[in-house]
Amino acid sequence: MSAVETHPAIPYLPTPEERVEGREKVTGHARYAMDVPIAGALWAAFVGSPYPHARVVSVDAKRALRMKGVRAVISGKDTAPVRFGRRLQDWPILAHDRVRFMGERVAAVAADTRELAEEAARAIEVEYEELPPVFTLEAALAPEAPVLHPERASYLYLGGGEPPKTTHPNQQGVVIHEHGDVAAGFAAAARVFEHTFEYARNHQGYLEPRGTIVWIEKDGVVHVVTTNKAPFTLRMQLSKALGIPEETIVVDAGYIGGDFGGKGLSIDEPALYFLAKKTRRPVRSLLSLSDDFQVTNPRHPGTLRLRTAVDAEGRILAHEAHVLLDGGAYAAGKPQAGLIPGDAGLLLAGYRVPAARVEVVTVYTNNEPAGHVRSPGQPQSAFAADSQIDEIAREMGIDPLEIRLRNAIQPGETDITGHEWHDHLAREVLETLAREMKWDRPLEQRSLGASALDGPAVPRSSTLVGRGIGYCARHVGRGKTELEVEVAEDGCVYVITGAPDQGGGAHTMLQRVVAAELGLPVERVRARRGTTAETRHDPGVGGSRFTPVAGGAAIDGARRLRAELEKLSSDLDEALRLAAERHLRVPGMFDQTQSRYSVCAYGVTVAVDRDTGQFRVTDAVLVADVGTVINPVAHRGQLEGAFAFGLGQTVMEDLVIEDGRVVTANLDGYKLPTMPDVPPLRIVLLTEDYGPGPFGAKSVGELANAAVGPAVANAVRDAIGRRVWSCPITSEKVFEALSGARG
Amino acid sequence: MSRHEIRFELNGEARTAEVEADRLLLDLLRADLGATGTKEGCRIGICGTCTVLIDGRPISSCLYPAVYADGRKVRTIEGIAPDGGKLTPLQQAFIEQGGFQCGICTPGQIVSATALLEAHPKPTEDEIRRWMMGNLCRCTGYFGIRRAIETAAGTAR
Repeated sequence: MSAVETHPAIPYLPTPEERVEGREKVTGHARYAMDVPIAGALWAAFVGSPYPHARVVSVDAKRALRMKGVRAVISGKDTAPVRFGRRLQDWPILAHDRVRFMGERVAAVAADTRELAEEAARAIEVEYEELPPVFTLEAALAPEAPVLHPERASYLYLGGGEPPKTTHPNQQGVVIHEHGDVAAGFAAAARVFEHTFEYARNHQGYLEPRGTIVWIEKDGVVHVVTTNKAPFTLRMQLSKALGIPEETIVVDAGYIGGDFGGKGLSIDEPALYFLAKKTRRPVRSLLSLSDDFQVTNPRHPGTLRLRTAVDAEGRILAHEAHVLLDGGAYAAGKPQAGLIPGDAGLLLAGYRVPAARVEVVTVYTNNEPAGHVRSPGQPQSAFAADSQIDEIAREMGIDPLEIRLRNAIQPGETDITGHEWHDHLAREVLETLAREMKWDRPLEQRSLGASALDGPAVPRSSTLVGRGIGYCARHVGRGKTELEVEVAEDGCVYVITGAPDQGGGAHTMLQRVVAAELGLPVERVRARRGTTAETRHDPGVGGSRFTPVAGGAAIDGARRLRAELEKLSSDLDEALRLAAERHLRVPGMFDQTQSRYSVCAYGVTVAVDRDTGQFRVTDAVLVADVGTVINPVAHRGQLEGAFAFGLGQTVMEDLVIEDGRVVTANLDGYKLPTMPDVPPLRIVLLTEDYGPGPFGAKSVGELANAAVGPAVANAVRDAIGRRVWSCPITSEKVFEALSGARG
Repeated sequence: MSRHEIRFELNGEARTAEVEADRLLLDLLRADLGATGTKEGCRIGICGTCTVLIDGRPISSCLYPAVYADGRKVRTIEGIAPDGGKLTPLQQAFIEQGGFQCGICTPGQIVSATALLEAHPKPTEDEIRRWMMGNLCRCTGYFGIRRAIETAAGTAR
């Protein structure tokens, strides 16, 4: 965007925005799916399997159906052979032959009240015949392993193309990419480093339970109120799964109470469709968070084996990675062609890699299905790769900052996938971080914690301090979207979008971009969200896509409107008045094809109690290459939130599954950071490099959570002289590492 | 299950309701009275999205039997700013300081923080952290929430 520097909108954008939905959200009037009143709606409840792998012999609902107020019970018999999913539709609506994970739904009830539905579900008797389960990657990939999906070839694969080629029946997805002369890189190496890292399963941790309402009108139109963050995509998936035309499905997704990647997969909607059909009444569900933790789609845990060849100065010559991830019982949560989570193969993001071979495999097991979580694949790959870079630096006696500067990808160089990068700031991010951290000065000793809430007082003599850098990059999202811009009777310009707001400030961004482009005061522009029947196609909020893609459509719509307004009058106010009389409405369209990246780096300090392993991050700095900022308040919020999100994943969050059972199945066992857990954070933005979004914006929502992992890992390594190779880095693991150091 | 008639004050209005002994206040508010500003979250008293004030004290309405509300004053997010009225300085600060994103925890945060400022008009940073630790937020990392409270209290640096 060459016109950026002289664009009149730029001075306007730094003004802090007022969220279009701000008043509603602070007064309790914002309406979420759980709040939508539907007269006469029945409540649904589900029967989950107590076994991780079993044949369903029979479902007996007689007792439940005798209960007053129970309107219908359905089981796999009623829904077979329908399966759902975002790409590969491999997940049965209700298990029809066998269950493949504990909690998998076998039957569903519709009853007059929520309590009654739950009671009726408990009264349904299911007979199972247990099958041998596979819980580990090794067990699943053993030559004689039970095949979990023998009928896989019959599953629907959406989006065109062929499903990934697998070499073992329990492989879910496979992506292999190779570029450059890998063998020559290893042959020429001064040193070769090989390390294996482990990453645990974590949950998106949204606080809004999934809520769904489905009803079928007399004309056959299916209405879906949902917490899904991509209504048009859900409509397509439902259409394919249920075999009904997209035009007969209306999806309404309003405010979403947190998504973090997880609410791109819907699990209730298809079953509610069958219940609504059977009862001819609206049916609603509100999944408890406990169930959500057990039956939806958390982050893929797994093992990452990395080999890196470097020259005598620590410059990367070649890299090999084998990433093995537990995809759980179904691949339904993964939208990408290769059926791997997002950027799991983007090891060494932000580094120059002249030659590489990367293999990422997801595996079917009898664990909870895995899916997408904020920057899918990247916390795993960043934790492993940027820990390894740190380790290489220490082994070779190179300063950890210096090794990153030597390897930071420069414009025109290629990354691990062989793509050339342009318009990003890598060295500049690291150099700024060094200044902000005062990297050239030794870290001061300090006591553990600044307040009584930071844990028991620890004598200074037993406190070890350390600092670490975490460095990562993420793509600016691509894709197509459409919206409309209208001049309404009230003389205001409306941006009409089908995209829901999951908290990122999507609608406020549209409002400000259109206002800026038209040169109107922001009060004259409003955003209106509509259902899939009322709006043009939008792919939903996710994939670091909304600002660069929908923002482009907002610019396009504003420009088309301006062209029409100019025909009406040369005076803008007069033109708007005339346009209001005519209900002037124009489309805005955009296809974002540019491949661009943002880079960020953290510097964190930690204090570790030598005797117990208890540790805290005491301070953090984030430097991010972000392009033009459109919503300053939301933008800052995304970065701050990403830091806390990344911190939780790094030091406390672990969705533990033992023998198929989710042990940490609600917020009592699965710990999210609380206010006292989050240390101070300083943010430094580099805005001089323009992104492909409106006015030079880049994406920010998923940029900054992945690098927290390696930053903390590297700081702990600096403090105690030993590395923790698995994430989360808990005090127990630090204690074990310290014990090893003593022994 | 025995049923009980209760009389209580909801956001300044006298209310009566007949509830079963195990009816939770959260369900009474949301399902029976249609006061959906109070949000359902974890239902086990951890997340704080369902926080309401009972005689001025914050409680998790998902753990609080509705019968206990008999004779008490219940204040929810709907009662923080009178309908259609002016936002409180705290609510305004939540908007200006990025105190919310998705908004699902926001009613609970604002209810808790309102009680905090009533108890400690100029809270220290530690008092804020101690008081607010029962209200989880996955979006903001709490930075914007703390700024909003400090702004409303006039203690922002």
